[in-house]
Amino acid sequence: MQEEKEFIAALLHPKTQQVAFQKLLQDYQKPLYNHIRNIVLNHDDADDVLQNTFIKIFQYLKNFKGESKLFSWMYRIATNEAITFINNKAKRNGTTSEAMQTKIVDNLKADVYFDGNEIELKLQKAVALLPEKQQLVFKMKYYEELKYEAMSEILGTSVGALKASYHHAVKKIEEYVKRN
Amino acid sequence: MTMKDFKLENEPKITSGFTTPEGYFDTFSEKVLAQLPMEEPKVIAIFTLRKKWLFAAAALLIVALSIPLFNSITATATEEIDAETLENYITYHSGISENDLVDLLENEDLEQIKVDYNVTDSATEEALSTNANLEHYLLN
Repeated sequence: MQEEKEFIAALLHPKTQQVAFQKLLQDYQKPLYNHIRNIVLNHDDADDVLQNTFIKIFQYLKNFKGESKLFSWMYRIATNEAITFINNKAKRNGTTSEAMQTKIVDNLKADVYFDGNEIELKLQKAVALLPEKQQLVFKMKYYEELKYEAMSEILGTSVGALKASYHHAVKKIEEYVKRN
Repeated sequence: MTMKDFKLENEPKITSGFTTPEGYFDTFSEKVLAQLPMEEPKVIAIFTLRKKWLFAAAALLIVALSIPLFNSITATATEEIDAETLENYITYHSGISENDLVDLLENEDLEQIKVDYNVTDSATEEALSTNANLEHYLLN
């Protein structure tokens, strides 16, 4: 925790800011990219959202109170940015974000930045049919392998509720795979 | 592969299948850093400090220069001529005639000067009929 305080101080000081932010980018660009990509599904969109996420992290850093860990605070910003992005994109296209996600998943095979086989594709399709919260929980737990405690801090939901969500999600996914 | 008894936990890990363009993460941080409003250490710091002093000096200079101006404004204000002096001057020392003064009157001033006598026609008639000199006026 002390280490994190020092790191945040380095991020805020003009003299050390550049180097510290570079380290932050190196440490978090991949996990945050994966998190965002799992929500927005498309690489170009994920790239846009990830850039905005880091810009927001930089802007809001001076307001970061240290009430939660830097890690979960950044994941929270990334989650909000990604969800806002898909909602706005759906609105622009005159559709719902659920319908849009299903359509993107249906076209994943043609995406040059998707190299999954049949089972990966099937899992993506099954996940896209879940309610939004269950999707998020499943992606964070299964794809990103985050711990329930970390997810609880990021999403502001109790560990018990997250476990229940994940359990429901897995059941529905297994049903889907059996049927299709 | 049979999917009949599909159990996620029994399966080998299924990935998301998502990939990124070659070298994407190598250039990503540069792309972000270029967009950040980083405060350049020292160079800007000294510059802004100098600018601050410059502003202070400029402000002081403006205040200093405006002191005589301020004095002159207050001086004229206290030396205002009172109405009586002005009247006496116009009456005794200048070649201004009554006509000149009348010319100076604006419409508004004339409105204020106008007096409404409110005289009815019958009153005028009565006044004229009781006036012994009426005939004399009419004849001349």
